[in-house]
Amino acid sequence: MAEQISAGLPPVSIRVSDDAHAVLAAQHGRALAARLGFSVVEQTACSTAILEIARNIVKYAGAGEVTFQAVEDGEQVGIVVVACDNGPGIADVNLALQDGYSTGGGLGLGLPGARRLMDSFQIVSRPGQGTTVVMQKWRSAAPVREHASSSRGRP
Amino acid sequence: MDSSGSTQKLENLLLVAVPRDLMDDEVIELRREILQAIRRHGSQVVLLDFSRVDICDSFFGRFIYTTSKMVELMGAKVIISGLQDVVIETMVELGMTLPDVDAVLDLDDALALSRSLSRQYNHLNETAPPDGDIADEE
Repeated sequence: MAEQISAGLPPVSIRVSDDAHAVLAAQHGRALAARLGFSVVEQTACSTAILEIARNIVKYAGAGEVTFQAVEDGEQVGIVVVACDNGPGIADVNLALQDGYSTGGGLGLGLPGARRLMDSFQIVSRPGQGTTVVMQKWRSAAPVREHASSSRGRP
Repeated sequence: MDSSGSTQKLENLLLVAVPRDLMDDEVIELRREILQAIRRHGSQVVLLDFSRVDICDSFFGRFIYTTSKMVELMGAKVIISGLQDVVIETMVELGMTLPDVDAVLDLDDALALSRSLSRQYNHLNETAPPDGDIADEE
């Protein structure tokens, strides 16, 4: 990938071992997206995808880590989120990426939903060796100032 | 947050303020509180108010689904309101659908719906034959 690590914003890792941590990770993702000038819709998409993935870690692996990195590629600014755990892994990744498939009694939207909300989404998992998800979202247009969000949609 | 403070009664409507960050252990407690409040107040409609929620993942979807099924078994009905525009966009993008759950725009509409349900209910009760009739014919 051509993007470079954004200067001035070091990567941040959040350890996730319960639901409160998952929420914390999602809120951190939103704050970072806001700081990089993402629109409110993009901030919401990012934080929702992070919450899905982080809750998955808690539910299936018990604990793991979510790392956030701001990236730049020329004019483009984006966020890379890496979520990894040492849990049981996923036996069939393609199946887990299908809508409605769940082994945990959920709606089966977690992985496919997060993939739809982000611009890129990769998952590597082997049974017994944990799971790593790498997902990325670019800011779509000119940076949006945080305080301008309330007037969104007006001419 | 103190979940005992998250429900309020308004006529036959039970208002539930869904917490901004819903955690695994809170869901069970909140659902129990809703069921107890329905019994206490005789509520016919439960309004889940999402106006505090700014990140709505599939965990919330599961909460809405399970709550509506439980409430149904008590003879009441769940409706939702207060979803922010950006949350709605994200929910649909995520692929979340909520069959069997009606949404209303605001509290006015929720009240209008619960009043119309209440009228239907009273009408049904009025048209049923009085208990004494059958005994008199014997």
